[in-house]
Amino acid sequence: MKSIPRLLYVLPVFGLLLGALDAQAQSFRVQCPTSTPFHPDGSNIKCQQIAGGDGYATMADGSTIYLFGFGPLSGLPDIYKGLPGTEVNTVFNTTFGPDTGTPSNLVGMPDGNFAYSTLFNGGPFLGAIGLTEDYGLDPWAAGLVYLKGATVRTATGIYSAISDGTSGANTPTGTGTFFDGGVNWGYQGSLLDGHVDARPIMDVGVMNANQPAPLIAIDEDDELFLTLTNVGMIMRPDLFEQHTVHFHGYPNASAFYDGVPDASIAINIGGSFTYYYLAPDAGTYFWHCHIAPPEHLQMGMVGQLYVRPRQNKVAPGASLYTALSQWETTPTPLASNPKTAADWATYEPVRKRCGGNSDILCTTPLPINQSAMRAVVDTAHPNAGKYNYAYNDGDGSTYYDVEYPIQIHGFDPNFHFVGMTFNPESFNDMKDKYFMLNGRSYPDTVGGHVCVQNDPLPACNVKGVTPGAVVPGPMETQSTDGTNHASQPLPTVINIPANGHALLRISDLDVFEYQTLASLGIPMRVVGLNARLLRDMAGNNMAYNTNSITLAGGESIDVILDATGLQPRQKFFLYTPQLDHLSNDAENFGGLMTEVNICSSVDPQTKACTNI
Amino acid sequence: MRAMNTKSLLGQALQGATVALGSLLALSAHAAAPGITGTASTTGTFNLTAAAMRVTQPNGKSLYSWGYGCTSTTGNSFKPAMTGNNCPLAQLPGPTLIVTEGDTVTVNLTNGLPAAAGNTSMLFPGFQVSSPAASTPGAGVAGLLTQEAPSLASCVTAGCNTVTYTFTALTPGTHSYYSGTQGDLQVEMGMYGAIIVLPKTVPANCDSGLALANLTAEATSGETDFRLAHAAYDHASTCYDREYLFQFSEMDDNIHQQAEAQVLADQAKAAGKTCTSATGCLVIATEPYAPDYYLVNGRSMPDDMDPNYVGMYPSQPYNGNPHMHPGELTLVRIIGQGRWQHPFHEHANHVRVLARDGNLLLSPPVTVTTNGVTTTTTLPAGPLMFTTTTTPGMTMDGIFYWTGKGLNWDVFGHDPSLVDSITKKPVFCVPDANGFYTVKGDGTTAATEPNYYEWCGDHNKALEKHPTGQVAAGGPATLPDPNIVTNGNWYSGSPYLGGEANGRAVGGTPIPPAGTTANSPTGEAGFAYMWHSHNEREITTSNVFPGGMMMMMLVDPRSFAIDETN
Repeated sequence: MKSIPRLLYVLPVFGLLLGALDAQAQSFRVQCPTSTPFHPDGSNIKCQQIAGGDGYATMADGSTIYLFGFGPLSGLPDIYKGLPGTEVNTVFNTTFGPDTGTPSNLVGMPDGNFAYSTLFNGGPFLGAIGLTEDYGLDPWAAGLVYLKGATVRTATGIYSAISDGTSGANTPTGTGTFFDGGVNWGYQGSLLDGHVDARPIMDVGVMNANQPAPLIAIDEDDELFLTLTNVGMIMRPDLFEQHTVHFHGYPNASAFYDGVPDASIAINIGGSFTYYYLAPDAGTYFWHCHIAPPEHLQMGMVGQLYVRPRQNKVAPGASLYTALSQWETTPTPLASNPKTAADWATYEPVRKRCGGNSDILCTTPLPINQSAMRAVVDTAHPNAGKYNYAYNDGDGSTYYDVEYPIQIHGFDPNFHFVGMTFNPESFNDMKDKYFMLNGRSYPDTVGGHVCVQNDPLPACNVKGVTPGAVVPGPMETQSTDGTNHASQPLPTVINIPANGHALLRISDLDVFEYQTLASLGIPMRVVGLNARLLRDMAGNNMAYNTNSITLAGGESIDVILDATGLQPRQKFFLYTPQLDHLSNDAENFGGLMTEVNICSSVDPQTKACTNI
Repeated sequence: MRAMNTKSLLGQALQGATVALGSLLALSAHAAAPGITGTASTTGTFNLTAAAMRVTQPNGKSLYSWGYGCTSTTGNSFKPAMTGNNCPLAQLPGPTLIVTEGDTVTVNLTNGLPAAAGNTSMLFPGFQVSSPAASTPGAGVAGLLTQEAPSLASCVTAGCNTVTYTFTALTPGTHSYYSGTQGDLQVEMGMYGAIIVLPKTVPANCDSGLALANLTAEATSGETDFRLAHAAYDHASTCYDREYLFQFSEMDDNIHQQAEAQVLADQAKAAGKTCTSATGCLVIATEPYAPDYYLVNGRSMPDDMDPNYVGMYPSQPYNGNPHMHPGELTLVRIIGQGRWQHPFHEHANHVRVLARDGNLLLSPPVTVTTNGVTTTTTLPAGPLMFTTTTTPGMTMDGIFYWTGKGLNWDVFGHDPSLVDSITKKPVFCVPDANGFYTVKGDGTTAATEPNYYEWCGDHNKALEKHPTGQVAAGGPATLPDPNIVTNGNWYSGSPYLGGEANGRAVGGTPIPPAGTTANSPTGEAGFAYMWHSHNEREITTSNVFPGGMMMMMLVDPRSFAIDETN
């Protein structure tokens, strides 16, 4: 191979570089750039922090079950409300301030107080837990000798000396280079540069495993920085397990960020690893730990992840077909060696196309129907102008009013008990006894939250709902630290506006068997499979109606429930016809089941049902 | 069974299979879809025997099993020709029968099973099978589903224990065969295999353009073409550059132990007292079913990544060890052979399902314009899937590839200042119509370039903000401190593809150290992905993780020659 000789005259450089390495050694850390080469203006950069560890959840028969799992370390109030913990960089890069209290006020977060408090700038704190200024950096001072490369902090950011010299009188400021009168300084970034304080991370992250893991949602063209912080498993001090994030189903995955420990690196306890991906083609993906999957998945290290299509950004009234064909029929890219940002920009349409019928893995063939327009605002319709789409369909066939991520999973309580009590687990004897949607079985799928006095949860502030009432909302379990943890944040009540469409983003991470979910009353329209639009390469719509779908662990499916012609207050059911799965261990009633309500209107964010 | 990090992966495997592991690390074993095409004298005629054998497992266990094999271990024709080609008297799975569309296929099956097993047979789903008329040689005896080969003990005359099946291979693609006699027991014992029917007419576009260029690229790195054909079907959308066959099955050790004990007991009986029944004399409960071995091509991980035909698995000649280069269209042939479904998750990209049970899934005819030429054609209509369910008795053909498109960083670790050591020019990436480097700036093929099929949109784009080595800087991400991570056995040492890029990225002392991994940072340095059953408890071998239905798929740099000679 002709390029190997290059290595020889490169090698001496390494010694120098390694010697010059500044103290990059780190334990906990987050990454969320304010700008990147792809998004120099800082837009479309999304970040999320999660903790890998252990915790507890409550099964529908009242049993407490031990988990290995992931908990939220960003967007805590959003997680509490059942929303993604994925935040834009300007929100993620905020600091909560000092962690106070003995024990810490943060233990057991997120909870109602935290989520809706005015503790942070008059609103809920959605940023990264632990993020703080690096007080280890020396403040800039006048009249000091600085060597090239010296790093200092000022009130406006972190700066690095570009040359040797004695500093002048002017405090460095701005985001470019700054001459203080003696030394030239280069802006390195904001004071929140990813440095974290370990205490709040441990206060929030320990014993806080969620089931399912924190929801991740991004848009096409987003860059996602997902920081996994391994806080260790308190109930299993004998284990020194790494954890990883596998982005299940990502096309053209990189081995490095694929989360398979055998094929990459895995983060040890006490460290953070930031995964970086440009969002792949739109679809319902999901994620899980890939360390010893039969064990870590059964124990609960499973979560949801979906990518919304860029078709959602098409202007109301504009042709969806034109938007899609703009990149599908784009001309040959610039025939030169791309070097500059401008060159790369010319690639953007090429990146978004799939190459039409010459590409066997084409995700977005142009549809047969060319007439659909992006819905315009129509005040007569409860969700007019708020339609979104599951895929870049180009014909509007995957529009929906409100979306519901639903993850199917199963727990074998014996395996979990054995896993908590230091005993060897049997994979052959594994047998699930809890059959769950979003980490809960019926009836917790339609409830889970007990309203208290002055409960901030919107569902508790409805006429007729009194303290003690059970409403759909976050479900708390007291952990071994004596604190309640909202470890099961996601109810699965499907509220659909009458005449509207609900998108069910269904994924399955069962490690043991196939699971079937059926719809009583409303047909299921299957529009996507394995994060791909159901359409043949010729552009024919392959979506189909059915009353049940069957998934194995490792599969996802997109189903639309159409409430056209239905009346508010009608109720339907999603349940499994595998009738032995309609149980909660020894209880003969429960299991893989939830309710579908037709409403006058549904808030697409909170999913709250309003009937008039 | 605890703390299955990547370090204990080695430990686990060492407990049971020191030999297997040694070979795993020492050899580069890659495989196409090897099989037999008939006897030396007659293509399409297969003389097979059903017989008992032992299959080995990575935990050191040896399972008594039954399987199909070649009646004569000599005089068979193999395809493709490989080091160690052989066809034993019984193997797991049975010999892959490779024929061409339209061929008349004749299978002479001899029942060489222990007398206690009784009759046996073969089913060929999807084909119209006939046998000779009653009382003529090869007629066999009538069974429930097909003509059966009697046990020699029950029919007495030499040669009476052979049945002949004849059919015309009308449908191309991947098919299965398996026992049609006491299937709950005989299939469990290992009596199944694959039939690959090659298309009669390979479309012209599968021998021109990028399909042809890939042969140049392979030849540049010293590779030989090991494809069985250049297309999976008589259809222009089914061209491929590389192919792999995966047969999924599971085994319940308990059934095998009972079978062995009862067969031995029968054989120990006095002359005249042994089994002569057509239905055999075994009384074995095949329910409740509790398998403890989960197999791909008859082997459990890591044995499935050892070479084809390797001597340490005399009855398990086929491996499961896919390798490919960026951009290569890889045909994945999948068969569900056991009694359970297994969700097979292909990491790294989607698979386009071309066909099920040899039936192409196609759209209605559409008008397509390619290079200014308008034609009416059909296009693939199968779904794109990242998890392809293997259903008992069902086969599937699909196309997979990996290019790295859309990652937003240069997977080769190129840097604008990087100069090729020979040409003294910057490393180029000139996009074709779809943005890949397949044609050079002067219009000639780029197939001889080390970065052939690079996604040019990301050329020279940095990943790392502050790289330690000579790769582009200023990217979006910072990598974790190497001191706080654990390295995997297949980790190539850096995020970048190939030994050259890896060397520039991490210097002369790559982490992990060279030569101690299954994907050497200075040698193969590929991107490793796990292909496995997502019923995750099936990636265990007799209750121990890792094992079972799992393999590593490697996307290799062009500089690494994928060796498919065994």
